[in-house]
Amino acid sequence: MTSKTASIYDWVDERLGLSELVAFARHKTVPVHSQSFWYYWGGISLFLFLVQCFTGVLLLVYYHPGADAYESVRQITFVMHFGWLIRSAHSWSANLMIFSILVHMFSVYFMKAYRKPREFGWLSGMALLGLASVFGFSGYLLPMDELSYFATKVGLEIPNAIPWIGPAISSMLRGGLQVNEFTVQRFFALHVVVLPALFLPLLGFHLWLVQRHGNAMPPSEEAKPAAARKTIPFFPNFIRKDLGMWLVSLNILALLASVFPWSLGKQADMLVPAPQGIHPEWYFMSPFEMLKLLGNFLPGEAGEIAGLFIFTIGIALWVLIPFYDTTSDSGRRARAAHYFGLIAVFALLATTAIGYWTIR
Amino acid sequence: MNYPFWYIPHLGSGWVIGIIAIFHVVISQFAVGGGLYLPMAERKALRMPAGPIRDGWLKQLASHSKFFLILTGVFGTVSGVGIWFAIGLTHPEATSTLIHNFVFGWAMEWVFFMIELTTVAVYYYTWNRIDPKLHLTVGWVYAGASAATLIIINGILAFMLTPGDTWLAVAGTGAEASKFWNAFFNPTYWPSLLMRVGVCTSLAGVWALITSSRMDGDKDPALKASLVKWSVKWLVPSFVATPFLLVWYLYMVPASQRALLTLGIDTINSGTFSTVTRMALIIIITSATIIGVAYFLAYRNPTDFNLSHAMAVLLLAYIATGAGEYSREMLRKPYVIGRWMYSNGVRVPYVSRINQQGYLATSNWIWTSPGLSPTSYSRGEAIFRGECGSCHTLDGYRPLRQLLDGRDSASIRNFVVMLHDNKPDSPYRKFMPPMVGTSQDIDDLTNFLNAQVNPPAPANSKPVLTAHK
Repeated sequence: MTSKTASIYDWVDERLGLSELVAFARHKTVPVHSQSFWYYWGGISLFLFLVQCFTGVLLLVYYHPGADAYESVRQITFVMHFGWLIRSAHSWSANLMIFSILVHMFSVYFMKAYRKPREFGWLSGMALLGLASVFGFSGYLLPMDELSYFATKVGLEIPNAIPWIGPAISSMLRGGLQVNEFTVQRFFALHVVVLPALFLPLLGFHLWLVQRHGNAMPPSEEAKPAAARKTIPFFPNFIRKDLGMWLVSLNILALLASVFPWSLGKQADMLVPAPQGIHPEWYFMSPFEMLKLLGNFLPGEAGEIAGLFIFTIGIALWVLIPFYDTTSDSGRRARAAHYFGLIAVFALLATTAIGYWTIR
Repeated sequence: MNYPFWYIPHLGSGWVIGIIAIFHVVISQFAVGGGLYLPMAERKALRMPAGPIRDGWLKQLASHSKFFLILTGVFGTVSGVGIWFAIGLTHPEATSTLIHNFVFGWAMEWVFFMIELTTVAVYYYTWNRIDPKLHLTVGWVYAGASAATLIIINGILAFMLTPGDTWLAVAGTGAEASKFWNAFFNPTYWPSLLMRVGVCTSLAGVWALITSSRMDGDKDPALKASLVKWSVKWLVPSFVATPFLLVWYLYMVPASQRALLTLGIDTINSGTFSTVTRMALIIIITSATIIGVAYFLAYRNPTDFNLSHAMAVLLLAYIATGAGEYSREMLRKPYVIGRWMYSNGVRVPYVSRINQQGYLATSNWIWTSPGLSPTSYSRGEAIFRGECGSCHTLDGYRPLRQLLDGRDSASIRNFVVMLHDNKPDSPYRKFMPPMVGTSQDIDDLTNFLNAQVNPPAPANSKPVLTAHK
């Protein structure tokens, strides 16, 4: 640093304690091994979330929730300068963010980075995934074109199927018995205020935990003697590489948003029946298809309830894995958790694929 | 117009050229830049004091020249020939014009190719076997021959965008070849040559990063650092000069075509041509990223720079190059040879003649089956292949089924008539050729397109509701 920068830094440091923060960042090292590539995915998810905040605020300036929703999105996409680009970036980044969160979650799972002392990291991460899914679901309705309207209408049938309290939950989410402009305003408030207010502190907690505990090593690396393990400092070496990955992600996003810009369907007409082959976005395809498959085997409501039950149990087991697979050796529980993970990945991929293949 | 039409479903025949050509350009421009890189690096190494760094450099360069020989000598040459096959099949009309004008240019080009292939093989196989000064000279001969191939091909390529008024004045008279040099040194020749030289030197750096990234940074940090950092510097000239060269280039492009750049700013709606804007955005962001990754990863951290990082830079360069070539192609719309030949092969002065005599009547190749007289549908299909197939497919790239979706027969006919009349206020005039032909041709094309967009109901469809007894 030049002396001018150094004196400014000292002035701020005396008042805010910056050097303590830098020391905290500097103490962390990042392991370097064959699976180090997976360490980037949390950062990529964070980056894509920041893109969402940026593009989201720009869209917020021009979007009208309520009865004018479709028209405002039409203007953003087809009239305003580069409105189509901001909207495309926002839609693509939403999908890429959920994809990278899932990659991050599965890589953490298979590297067993939920074990002591990282249980809170796992739990907060699962909560963040839940919030991200609600972000996706609420955001999807906002353009109020045919696809958003019917996907939301069908999607809200899922909470409806919960025994006893289901219809009340769906009614509260919809703002009535129908999906209409009040639903849009409700989802808008959720998407822009409530969810960020919940997400941001939880994200801060999650990141602080990563700084505190550092990156976990896969069991194979932990087995090596300390001298044989290679690490690099988090600050500045790993951060530099992390930012490089962010730049790569930005490029992929820019490419997708420019080459495959997000279009706008026809305005939702609430009086017509749902078009053939209506389906949710890919990240909800799995529970959607599971409900359909079980509905083929079990009659009536029993199918939906069974589907919900199986999915809920599955998620509960997944969330509670740190309390099952606790020790650091590769015993019976470690192997069982690993196979459970493989089954979960397979089931999700299979039901998503079947869901797409059977769209009529 | 004079040749059978090669229609590739889903992809479009244009993309057959595109895929082969972009691959070729990434390698061939490396051949030019790398051809300069190798003798310059060798000369630098020979001037170093004797020691492990000098020996390491020479050893690494020998390995890099083997990589260079195989990549350019095999993949470069095969893809280059591949372009010939692709353009001859996709657009024989334009290819024919280029050959009639530039056949001696291509002959010169192939002389230099022969020199290139010979010298690159000699360069690799005589490492450490002949006097180092002679070896270096071989490298310089390669560099010169390779530069000549770029200098020549650029004239032909730039001609397609801006043939220049001198050539256009004699076009169609049979005396075109007399204006060889005017056509060759056309308005966009110099800016595009300088831009491509920049791309060549950048690609030299990028591919050199690929080979040097594979060195073991833990074993030989000083050697790897010196090679990686020297290779990164090859990216600098292009990134500094290109913004200015681009402004010069665009200034030399006719204003009506330059206007295509702005069509995608406010809308991406159907019926607008937003491609050039969107591709330009990709060029900017991938180029900025290459600068960032090259500086922060390669230059500041050379020993940690591994093959994955180098591949990421290569991929970005591939995308930037592809987007650049694609924008250049799109900038030429509605022509394939600027202001002379439309993208579908129809020559600008012949439009009124074809409008009187009919499109199929003036075409030498019609798809007819013996024993079957052509129907409106089959005539329409032939017109579609000839007039629309250069840029559109039915179901894939720029799909007409989707673009005309929602229109009935009358609406499609109105659309075709609008394209035919090509009035000054037609929004399509900027990027689409006029539809040429008689009103019978218009009807035939309409019938064909309508059959695609609104297919007739299947013959044995059952009624939805049946009365129960």
